[in-house]
Amino acid sequence: MATAHEEWLELSEIYALGALDEQQQKNFETHLATGCAICEAYVRETREALLLLHRSIAPMTPSASVKTRIFDHIVSDKIAPLPAKPRTTIRWRVITGTLAAGIVGAVLAGTLITKRYEPRHTVYTSVINLLRDPATRDLPLYGTGPTPKAAGRFLWNESGEGHIFVTNLPTAPEGKMYAVWTIAQSAAPRYVGTIQTDRTGQGGLHINTPRTDQPVENFAVTLEPAGTTAAPTGPMVLISKPA
Amino acid sequence: MPADLTTATHLIQQVANQDRDAFSQLYDRFSTLVFTLAMRMLKARSDAEDLLQEVFVQVWRQAQSYSAERGSPEAWIINIARSRAIDKIRSIRRMQKSFVLTDDPAQAESSHNVESSAAESETRLAMNSALANLPDTQRKVLELAYFDGLTQSEIADRLAEPLGTVKTRMRSGIQKLKEILGTKLA
Repeated sequence: MATAHEEWLELSEIYALGALDEQQQKNFETHLATGCAICEAYVRETREALLLLHRSIAPMTPSASVKTRIFDHIVSDKIAPLPAKPRTTIRWRVITGTLAAGIVGAVLAGTLITKRYEPRHTVYTSVINLLRDPATRDLPLYGTGPTPKAAGRFLWNESGEGHIFVTNLPTAPEGKMYAVWTIAQSAAPRYVGTIQTDRTGQGGLHINTPRTDQPVENFAVTLEPAGTTAAPTGPMVLISKPA
Repeated sequence: MPADLTTATHLIQQVANQDRDAFSQLYDRFSTLVFTLAMRMLKARSDAEDLLQEVFVQVWRQAQSYSAERGSPEAWIINIARSRAIDKIRSIRRMQKSFVLTDDPAQAESSHNVESSAAESETRLAMNSALANLPDTQRKVLELAYFDGLTQSEIADRLAEPLGTVKTRMRSGIQKLKEILGTKLA
């Protein structure tokens, strides 16, 4: 007759395969949580062996845009905590309220935020946080190069958080993307995300990057081959200072 | 430890420190593996690319939790991918089961469908010589669990085999894989 622990070992291999029934899986995970080194070793060994099944499949390559999407996601992965409510003047409150109402209305209308997997309430909260902070700058963006009719706004805080809205910017051609860059004095342009536009030419992107030593002076959007994030190579389509 | 494993482990350690260059290298190294598995499990390209994104976002967020003592980087990343894919497959299956039972019982997955699926997987798999040594009955139960996310009871039902037989085939197949890999514990 098998000992109690031999029964766990039998389960360990099928657990690694992911084929235990629900209750058995819970029981085995409870056992693993006790710190059983032998079962852990069996699970680990079995997972390594099962990779043989996986390696036997003919490899398939994902499209290049997936990497861009992932990097966009991790750039904006940091969710800023709600800052303490600042002491604000009535004037600032009025300005903030007006801006917030307009922007939030547009966000809720679903016309500005197109980024996948970005919960809208998170974007909403983040934009409100930005607007609450008197240190946030609100800069107009001007169309240039191939898209003179494009326009936009860039909310930017030197903490590294920002939000860009664009309008009249045609959807990027197949294999291309709109890369967003921040430009600090005597520093190379820094990629902070990719903005997508809908068929009406509107789009938005929330940006959350680590703080840098040098304050950002300019913002630009360029049309790049998909996956370009190291340095701008394509034509500029939006810039924060008139060309 | 082999040099490539050391490198991958080092990359994960750098990713834990929010190093995006290291993350880019890690992605370049493992994205094809993850995507290939995702395509095999989820079938649709868009679903597979979504899964690939979810997996690497999780890798970015949880790199600090990786420990080389608990397995190779490849096994860690693939385990994340399989867990997520199985969750999706089982969720879809639960929905389909309700829908099919309500509307058209004849469309419910049958052992015939499973056989077709297994036959399809055989043609899709470019089996290497080592895996070709695995008996078909063992390989089939492993594939149904590994790629299709079926539990041992579901496999027994669908193949109309006793649960004990399925368990035995699974464990024999796994033992064979371990022998092939040479990782069997002394």
